[in-house]
Amino acid sequence: MAARIKAPKDFWAGLMFISVGAFFMIWALTHYQMGTAVRMGPAYFPAMLGGLMVFLGVLVLIESLAMEGAPIAMPFNIVHLISAVLIYAALGWIFSRLGIGGDYAILLGTVALVVLSVMFLPLTKPLVLISAACVIYGYLMKPLGLVLATLLLVFISAFAGHEFKWKEVAILFLVLIVFSILVFVKGLTLPFPICPAFMETCPIR
Amino acid sequence: MEILNNLILGFGVAVSPLHLLYALIGVMLGTLIGVLPGIGPVATIAMLLPITFNLSPIAALIMLAGIYYGAQYGGSTTAILVNLPGESASVVTCLDGYQMARQGRAGPALATAAIGSFFAGCVATLVIAVAAPPLAEVALKFGPAEYFSLMVLGLVAATVLAHGSLIKAIAMVVFGLLLGIIGTDVNSGVLRFTFDVPELSDGIGFVVVAMGMFGTAEIIANLEQGEHREVFTSKVGRLMPTREDFKRAWPAVMRGTALGSFLGILPGGGALLSSFGAYTVEKKLSKHPEQFGKGAIEGVAGPEAANNAGAQTSFIPMLTLGIPGNAVMALMIGALMIQGIAPGPQVMNEKPELFWGLIASMWVGNAFLVILNLPLIGMWIKLLTVPYRYLYPAILVFMSIGVFSLSNNPFDVLIMAIFGVLGYICVKLECEPAPMILGFILGPLMEENLRRAMLLSRGDPTTFITKPISAGFIIASVILLVIVALPAIRKKRDEAFVAEEVK
Repeated sequence: MAARIKAPKDFWAGLMFISVGAFFMIWALTHYQMGTAVRMGPAYFPAMLGGLMVFLGVLVLIESLAMEGAPIAMPFNIVHLISAVLIYAALGWIFSRLGIGGDYAILLGTVALVVLSVMFLPLTKPLVLISAACVIYGYLMKPLGLVLATLLLVFISAFAGHEFKWKEVAILFLVLIVFSILVFVKGLTLPFPICPAFMETCPIR
Repeated sequence: MEILNNLILGFGVAVSPLHLLYALIGVMLGTLIGVLPGIGPVATIAMLLPITFNLSPIAALIMLAGIYYGAQYGGSTTAILVNLPGESASVVTCLDGYQMARQGRAGPALATAAIGSFFAGCVATLVIAVAAPPLAEVALKFGPAEYFSLMVLGLVAATVLAHGSLIKAIAMVVFGLLLGIIGTDVNSGVLRFTFDVPELSDGIGFVVVAMGMFGTAEIIANLEQGEHREVFTSKVGRLMPTREDFKRAWPAVMRGTALGSFLGILPGGGALLSSFGAYTVEKKLSKHPEQFGKGAIEGVAGPEAANNAGAQTSFIPMLTLGIPGNAVMALMIGALMIQGIAPGPQVMNEKPELFWGLIASMWVGNAFLVILNLPLIGMWIKLLTVPYRYLYPAILVFMSIGVFSLSNNPFDVLIMAIFGVLGYICVKLECEPAPMILGFILGPLMEENLRRAMLLSRGDPTTFITKPISAGFIIASVILLVIVALPAIRKKRDEAFVAEEVK
């Protein structure tokens, strides 16, 4: 049993396929009705596909033990990924216990995750900051309005890059916010709040 | 003469000032995103979908179509001048186009690409006009079994296009199909895989998935790599190709157009497959194969003509069958559905002005593109020098606004971010996102047709191989899979993709 992982990319891809396929199959079989081939129930198609995916995953996995492949160039591993998901879930649970609403729980969880990843895995900066910038933008749009949400998105994402110059990013932000307001809010009449919800009158109209 | 009458009707619609304006906006935007590396037509069209709410269906479709084939033009500019494919279908143009630019012949390379594309666009427009009506006629006779088998063929074709392992590509298709199932089951009303999240009961939006997998994931990957570009902005030189160039490029353009028009019709095909195919053909047929990769003009002319022809004829399955052959076509279907039009064979009869107007507008758009690309080339070259650190925050802002505005719900943005992470992991594990997206689009359609077909056949799965049309699709899929799995072809395919990696 001294099988060695020769192709790590295929190995982890195979594991991913097996776990996703198995999850969909088992969940479908235990939660929904199977039905018959003539009258298929809601479980039929996903269970079939899940089974197929597990089979394909096993093939990929076997191949990864037999043929050489390139190493993975990723700044984090499976343990980090699982811990991140668990931390996120745990924080969500704690915040809901403290009576913090769903949206804010997601926001706080995201910020905590960003801080942790940048501290312990600095190479994940682009991945974490870009993803988090989008989430923060989405969840702060309603309470803080378009201007502040865009400010955060531009600065956080610019921070994920190689160079960060305050002046450049500030100009970029100004251009983008003027364009967004003119095109999306004025031109296309998308119903975005421009100013924060706590401000009674908005100077930009 | 019916075609002529139809085309006259179409041009009547397409040359109205408003539609001309939308065609112009579409091809301008298309060229822009084609020129800028790091953003493709899928993400752009997804961003602009909310805008089309306020337009008429024909204006929306004209603009979105312009973006798609405009991106093919713009992509070749970047490929030739910077050796970076601005758009995935222009990958092969890098091989010889960039070499021509290094030899000081950037002008003729750009002109060949533009003229070749224009010729291909004209022919492909005619192909659609001639081929679409009879196909729609046939499609009206399709039952659920035929639809199911056709989608199987489409998915198989998508896996053939993917890099590396065939098994992984098929697994990604299945992954996509499974994700497509999330939401309310149409037949029983049961909520599947929604985990009590109310936002998931309508399923995950296609736009959201596409933006995550192709948008944020790509930005993250680009940021990890860092910036290195070499731009030939100093001088493009004279634009017009010499008589000798012309003589060598012309047959390549003809062959590329024919190949692209044909491959574009296949579901799962489109621009990418066409350009790879055309390059291989040109190299095979050439009297001087050793010049390929060193600045052979045929290596620019053939693939450029092919990818433009393929981009246009890939509208055929969408317009006649209502089946998206690639991610862009899925977005087009989304745009039509927003307007309350169910795509399918009936569109041609019920809305002839929409159908023929779109076709005519493609020709108009192609004419715009030649004007935009040749005399205005200097402007696009200027754009190439914009550093990526200004571009990606802007792209993120537009993507987030687009996704948020779909339903004014931050949850969609969260899902986009999650798919961005998933897309990043998939790329790192060498699992292609493109087949997954196609599976995601076709998932619900496939399940519904499978159920209906099985109901009609009283649970007998042989219905898929006893009906002649359906059997034809299944046999074609099997042949395609076997061909790709054969060792000799595998090697060739790997070579083609190795060529792509050298970018």
